[in-house]
Amino acid sequence: MIQLRMLGEILDDLLISAVTGPCITATRHFPARAAVTVPFPAGLDPRIADALRARGIDALYSHQALAWERVERGEHVVVVTPTASGKTLCYNLPVLQALVRAPEARVLYLFPTKALAQDQLAELEALAKALPELRMSTYDGDTPQDARRAVRARANLVLTNPDMLHSGILPHHTKWANLFQNLRYVVVDELHAYRGVFGSHLANVVRRLARICAHYGSTPQFILASATIANPGELASRITGQAVVELTESGAPRGEKTFVCYNPPVVNRELGIRAPYLGEAAALALRFLREKIPTIVFAQSRLATEVLLTTIKQGVADRTGDSSIVRGYRGGYLPTRRRAVERELRAGDALGVVSTSALELGVDIGHLDVAVLAGYPGTIASLWQQAGRAGRRSDRSAAVLVATSAPLDQFMVTHPDYLFGTPPEHARINPDNPFILVNHLKCAAFELPIGEEERFGALEVRRWLAALEDEGVLHRTGGRYHWASETYPADHVSLRTVTTDNFLVIDTTARDAREVKKRQIIAEVDWSSAFATIYPKAIYLVESEPYEVQELHFREDEEKVAYVKRVDVDYFTDAITARGVWILRRLDGREGEALLAEQGEVLVAEKVVGFKKIKLGTLENVGSGEVELPQQERQTTAVWLTVPPAVLERVSPSREALVDGLRGVSYLLHHLAPIFLLCDVRDLGAWLGDTTPVAAGVVATRESAARRFVQAEEFRPTIYLYDVHAGGIGLAERLFEVLPDLLRHARQTLEACPCAAGCPSCVGPVNEVGRRAKPIAARLLALLAA
Amino acid sequence: MASTLDDLRRVIRRIEAARPPRPAPEPVERLVGGEVVETGSGPLVVVRREFALAHRHGGQALEDALAAPLPLLARLARVEGALEAADRLLFLDTETTGLAGGTGTYAFLVGAAHVEGGRLVVVQHFMRDFDEEPALLAALEPLLAQAAGVVTFNGAGFDLPLLETRFVLARRRWPASLPHLDLLRPARRVWAGWLDDCRLATLERAVLGVDRAVDVPGSLIPALYFDYLRSRRAAPLARVFAHNRDDVLSLVGLVGWLGRALEGQAGLRGPELLGMGRLWEHEDPDRAAACYRAALAAGLPDPLAHWVRLRLARWEKRAARWEAACALWEAASAYARFDPRPWEELAKFHEHRSGDLAAARAVAERALAEARSAGAALRVLDALACRVARLERRLTRGLAP
Repeated sequence: MIQLRMLGEILDDLLISAVTGPCITATRHFPARAAVTVPFPAGLDPRIADALRARGIDALYSHQALAWERVERGEHVVVVTPTASGKTLCYNLPVLQALVRAPEARVLYLFPTKALAQDQLAELEALAKALPELRMSTYDGDTPQDARRAVRARANLVLTNPDMLHSGILPHHTKWANLFQNLRYVVVDELHAYRGVFGSHLANVVRRLARICAHYGSTPQFILASATIANPGELASRITGQAVVELTESGAPRGEKTFVCYNPPVVNRELGIRAPYLGEAAALALRFLREKIPTIVFAQSRLATEVLLTTIKQGVADRTGDSSIVRGYRGGYLPTRRRAVERELRAGDALGVVSTSALELGVDIGHLDVAVLAGYPGTIASLWQQAGRAGRRSDRSAAVLVATSAPLDQFMVTHPDYLFGTPPEHARINPDNPFILVNHLKCAAFELPIGEEERFGALEVRRWLAALEDEGVLHRTGGRYHWASETYPADHVSLRTVTTDNFLVIDTTARDAREVKKRQIIAEVDWSSAFATIYPKAIYLVESEPYEVQELHFREDEEKVAYVKRVDVDYFTDAITARGVWILRRLDGREGEALLAEQGEVLVAEKVVGFKKIKLGTLENVGSGEVELPQQERQTTAVWLTVPPAVLERVSPSREALVDGLRGVSYLLHHLAPIFLLCDVRDLGAWLGDTTPVAAGVVATRESAARRFVQAEEFRPTIYLYDVHAGGIGLAERLFEVLPDLLRHARQTLEACPCAAGCPSCVGPVNEVGRRAKPIAARLLALLAA
Repeated sequence: MASTLDDLRRVIRRIEAARPPRPAPEPVERLVGGEVVETGSGPLVVVRREFALAHRHGGQALEDALAAPLPLLARLARVEGALEAADRLLFLDTETTGLAGGTGTYAFLVGAAHVEGGRLVVVQHFMRDFDEEPALLAALEPLLAQAAGVVTFNGAGFDLPLLETRFVLARRRWPASLPHLDLLRPARRVWAGWLDDCRLATLERAVLGVDRAVDVPGSLIPALYFDYLRSRRAAPLARVFAHNRDDVLSLVGLVGWLGRALEGQAGLRGPELLGMGRLWEHEDPDRAAACYRAALAAGLPDPLAHWVRLRLARWEKRAARWEAACALWEAASAYARFDPRPWEELAKFHEHRSGDLAAARAVAERALAEARSAGAALRVLDALACRVARLERRLTRGLAP
């Protein structure tokens, strides 16, 4: 009780205080709501009811009972209710019933991560003690080879993930014949996680699953569960290819919640600089942690997680002397470390945790009262997911959104009606994206020959099959297309943006002669971000402890490893990346007087060439270094904007000023685009490219590109806004459609920005884009948005 | 309207001209001396060749396989289930569209040999296209049903799971309980030490003395089949059929070779005797030791001889035949590359068995000197120095062993 009073008091203090009060741009209260319960359904097997009673469950929430009813009717169902509302029982109940009543029945559970499957396994094991018919097992990358045969033979409930279904189960479906013959239910939890690339892939994996089930004569029923998004039913239908009933009315109780928007104070009005949001977020979190109020802090990147953790640990140590009560959590930590943090949080041994969006999903971390969101998470749906992590069971909880200086964050905290009033985004997927579709057609043909007239899901695919036959990977005979290649196509398709090729980070600090063979693996880094985070001399932070990278082994013929040593430094490093974007194919274009806007395919190249050393705390630049690493390239889709030379000359005679101005426009467009695309700002890249022949194929840093623009004979700058996912997930096409709106929005935002000469909330920080950026960008946008 | 129709016709003609019709299939069955057989599940190309049992595959007579002690060989190769005689075995080898496994890899040519009417009959089943797979499986089914067991090379890891997948896909019952002799297992024991690898082709050349004049590398076979599917030119496939037939005959040959080697050691070379020793080890240690002794007597290249001496010495030590063991350790300690093990064994023998501490110290000191000049690892030097020091202490204290 003391704690609950404290939470209210701290919130009041924040509002009243002369220091923090003015920073609070909005407060919303969400009242408590009582539970709506109903008795167990009459048809429920008495042994299941007994098992539930033994676990303290005597009745169902109304949505659980409704789900039971609709599933019993044979309908596909998606349950959409808040965190901690008991949605797992919505699918566990009918599944248990089926397994208890029909010994031959089989069920497949899909979770987006292995950890979630483990969580659910533990929950089911508790029930299975009373229900011996239940034989469940996880089947994923961690399942030892020699145990796999036993799982296939024995388990009637298999918990896995889409990746394993895609590459380990479907291509070997004959070994799973028993499962596919008797597949009764397919459960998809955390449906909202399947947006964009991942969701587009999953929809195709399910199309393949449906073919295999049809082959073995089963038609499984789908039960899905999702956090709140705008279109759960639509997403569920697109992923399963079936009509799905949407159940959104929760009968679970809810505690009172306060939501606060916090905009860090402006510390330099002239430069438009606000107090660093990480420091502000840390200070806010510390107010709660010092009063022993369990708090979760969400950061928007791995680096931000580590920086925040360092600051908060220090703050906690200053007060209590024990910094171990605050833990870090993010992708890249080893599973054992993550499990330990989850356990400590559940047990209350850890009071606080700083996490990336990794903890947004339903991993069980028990009871937390406050969520501090360091930066707008990018989408409204994520905002509510993260805020929902506080107050799962408590009577009163709070969420604080701390805005960064980015235009999107500033827009959100200064337009609270938009923030609180906008429904969560539509989760968009594009299963028919040609890159994704064709890969899954290959996998499908590998699994089972495809009939000439066969549809893939509901999709007509004749021309794709014919194209694959022309390519020589499919061979048509007897009215069917057969896989006609030596390769295993699933190996060449990753369902996620991250590749499967991970770098191991190995600590060599404690090594001496006796320990030569002992490998101290402290983290894993995926291939796509390795060059920007673990280049030689980089400072790599693990739970806020700095390690310096000694060597990075990345050649094809060697193990992918980074050797690091524990160091004692007060700075971190930030990679300097050289970039290049080149047009491969133009697909569409619109030409106006002041602007040629085009859309198509581009090649994006990136090369880490050096790094800056940045002091922890003050964030000053305290040094730099060079790095020699290979260039990484990918093809993707983009929109590009070219302003005719005559127009540019009218705006300014100075190329330097024009480059600054164009970069300002590019920054603004990049950061505002997510409002229209309903994607994360990190799903897009922006670059001011050079279309003169001199620049063809040559990457450049911001500085060297600027020099080249000024010195080159010709001046042909082009703004590229590209989809960072190889092949694109449809962002560029949509961006091209909404471009006029985006330009108008950018112009309004720039004109309304009170800063003097550019700030992070409009054209970017003035010390990066220069003093000329804002006025030039304003003149450019006035022309472009006309 | 008429002109539009004419335009359309012209376009169609142009498209048709640009895409010539598929070339008429060159009859593969004639090229490889087979025939098209109707199976009840569709047609299939079957090539049947008979060999007299006296026929020699390389240097190996096929009939030796029939005389082989099958129950013994089955035990040594860890076969589940009973294998009695070779005359009811099915020798099986597949050519596939790849090594990836999974449901998208096909066995397009399956060679199977069995004994029938006093002759060895090799029957090859070939699907001219993917739609002839049901016929291929239908033809295999009775062969498997009649067999008392299957012999393959690496079939446990590859051919049989692949065929099982094909059977299940076609909704046919796979005879999972059929005893299976995978020759890769005994082959690894016998030849792993001295041949470059244990591939069937390598064994054929080095052991059976088969000389394939124009063999096709296994890695090219999938591509040859895909080429045939597209072009229908069958000529390049003749080599694939020959390759498959040779593989099947080699299975018979290997069983014959192993059978003879298990019955008696006459005519075996040193490394082969060593290999037979390894094969015998789990079954009959005395036979194994006898093979090792014979191998040393027949002559072995250096690293193998060293390995056998240590191995054999271990058996002698276990049987407390100290003189023989010491002689072997003495010989092993003279091996060109320094190896601490025989030195340690000798030192231990003198210290604990014969009680001759001075001799033990002498051995340890010599070993240490050798180790130093060979630049041995620190760990090894440490251990030897410790041993010398301990013996020194025991000598000065004058303690009895």
